[in-house]
Amino acid sequence: MKQLSVLMAAALAFAPMALAAAAPAGSAVDPVTGEATQGKPKDAAAAPAAATSTAKPGAPAEAAPAAAPQKVDPKLFDQALQDYFGGSPKEAAAKLFTFTENVPATDENYAWAQFFLAKSLIDLGLRHAGAVYLARIARERTNPAVLPKALAELQTLTDLPHDERMIDEQVFGALDLGFLPEDIAGYAHYQQGLVDLKVGNERWANTHFAKLVPGSPEHSRAKYALLVTRLKTNKKDLPKEMIDEFFELAKDHNLTLDARNDAMLAVARLRYEQKDYAGALQAYDLVKLPALDPGRATLYLEEAWTRYQLGQIHAAMGILTTLDAPSFRDEFLPDKYILRAFVYRDLCHYLPAKRAAKELTRRFADSLETLRERDDLTQDPRLRRAASSHGQTKRAERFLNSVELEGERLGRYAGTFGERFFSYLTRLYDLARAEAMRVFQQRLEESVREEADKLLRAAEQVRLMEYEVGLKLYERIKKGSKLVVNIEEAALEPNQVAFRFKEEYWNDELRSYRFSLKSRCIEETAQ
Amino acid sequence: MKHTLLLLCLAVPSAALAQIDALENPGSVSAIQERAFRMSHELTLGVGSLPLDAFYKGFFAQVSYTYHFTDSFAWQVGRGGYSYSLKTGLREQLEKDFGVIPTVFEEVQYMVGSDLLWKPFYGKAAVLNTSVIYFETHLLAGATVFKFTNGFKPALNLGLGFRIFQNKVISYRLDITDNIVFSLQQKPFNVMSIQLMLALNFGATE
Repeated sequence: MKQLSVLMAAALAFAPMALAAAAPAGSAVDPVTGEATQGKPKDAAAAPAAATSTAKPGAPAEAAPAAAPQKVDPKLFDQALQDYFGGSPKEAAAKLFTFTENVPATDENYAWAQFFLAKSLIDLGLRHAGAVYLARIARERTNPAVLPKALAELQTLTDLPHDERMIDEQVFGALDLGFLPEDIAGYAHYQQGLVDLKVGNERWANTHFAKLVPGSPEHSRAKYALLVTRLKTNKKDLPKEMIDEFFELAKDHNLTLDARNDAMLAVARLRYEQKDYAGALQAYDLVKLPALDPGRATLYLEEAWTRYQLGQIHAAMGILTTLDAPSFRDEFLPDKYILRAFVYRDLCHYLPAKRAAKELTRRFADSLETLRERDDLTQDPRLRRAASSHGQTKRAERFLNSVELEGERLGRYAGTFGERFFSYLTRLYDLARAEAMRVFQQRLEESVREEADKLLRAAEQVRLMEYEVGLKLYERIKKGSKLVVNIEEAALEPNQVAFRFKEEYWNDELRSYRFSLKSRCIEETAQ
Repeated sequence: MKHTLLLLCLAVPSAALAQIDALENPGSVSAIQERAFRMSHELTLGVGSLPLDAFYKGFFAQVSYTYHFTDSFAWQVGRGGYSYSLKTGLREQLEKDFGVIPTVFEEVQYMVGSDLLWKPFYGKAAVLNTSVIYFETHLLAGATVFKFTNGFKPALNLGLGFRIFQNKVISYRLDITDNIVFSLQQKPFNVMSIQLMLALNFGATE
């Protein structure tokens, strides 16, 4: 035992010295973190970490042996390119890694090797690892010819779950914009403007956004981001022009369909806030959904409220039927039960009204119990799902899932990549996963509180509804009370067809349900 | 009397059960949609077969025009088709082995006719749970004049058809009809036709 510890101490003392002497002068950058290792050998830094992440307890001796320095054959780069263009990214990646690890950063092919290594990793489904290498190219800028290509690849990766901090903030948000091609510069200006908006500096953001080419997708997205930020900051005094601006954006085909729909939803919400319910309904109708797309639950719920405010209670109830569809069964919509109760109450069906309201407390009993017991809200499955179903938390969860999936996928290449490369990537994914988990947890804690507030407000409404319905049930009918005029349901037009709903949801019908129920208010007041 | 009471006792609980559901979830829900496909002026190009005759099989091409008055009623103003006949083995055997003269066998050469269409069924179906197709089923009744090898003969045409819509202009129609042919020289006989058509729709309102 004593001998073993002496040997280990000796190994720890001498290995870095030996490796430092052998390491090439220009390659002192950690491929995982991207930080300069100041002449420290990468292997020495990486190996213990790899050992901690991959080795099982009790088997430390198997972990990442110190690699001997290699003299790289200059043909290795060409062979790797042949592999890559020959459709073997797996072989190419391993060779390119060996190449980048053993040539100085000043080598003319160094940046290209990093670029094709990134491309190979992306082709193998290891997007995050590819993004790390692309981000390194952007940071190091060793070859001006490679940089625009790397940035273009990174920009493509931003359409999928990605490390927002590394790509959006640290690469595009911190780029020197003077030398970039126009399209990349546009995206970088947009990202830098977004970063400024996030920290509340609209003036600086505007200086970036002003440089965007009018008519470009980034220009439209920047306008949208500006309007949303203004909406968030000036909730009380909203200028009416803002609705028109959102409306214009909703027709801007430079934006994605989702963004256009978001803009139209913003129009609808603003009009609703101004009690322009007819206008809000028009805007909801203009939200375009792809064929057979179930749409968004929030859209339906908001439209239902708007129709309710317009007195179209049968249509509102029809939309609530939509929200019971399997596509929305996991949606967190406490308001749905309240609105259903309101509709029944307005039609003087008091017991169904009470039952509809109570359904909320029954459905969310566990979550309400968690709230009452002051338990950890992030552990409640409903609240957790609701919190991670939208916004930043959703993005963080998608990235976390993607990193976990890629981490598992990495295992397939253990044999091909070689021990060093595999250890690096394992460590890279372990770090990325830990960071993604931290960000997700942080965002989850914030958003789960918002959802809990929403639930508590709805539970309060349920109590009020129960009280109100209780009063109505035992209300005495005064002598001479007049008949309440029954709300006329729209008749079927000749160009319309009706499909009776029989508990089977069709996606193409989700926006077309109409509820039919006679008001009982007449009978009750006529007695 | 006892039996009536027993039946009543058995029937009442089921009625009560139905009421519970109606009380808990009062009202009914329907999906009200704009009719996705409406026909107006329809021109069809079709191919079909006359499979019933044991001595020959007719293969025909047909053109027709249909005017749709409403979504459920239409008039196939005119249709005309030319048939090409293929002898069956039986007929060849009769001609070869028994010396039957070819003119004995009556064959449809061409035909013209007109029909009324009633379209009571309009619906949709899910295809592999990924897309929706719309269809329509119609019944038709009308008259046909056949030109047989031996002369013209009138017929009463009855049948049913099925249409699948591809878009507002193009649809595909399958008609299966039976023509009851009347003749002075012989008893009425049947000429069945199976026809697949490409239908082009013009002037339909949205």
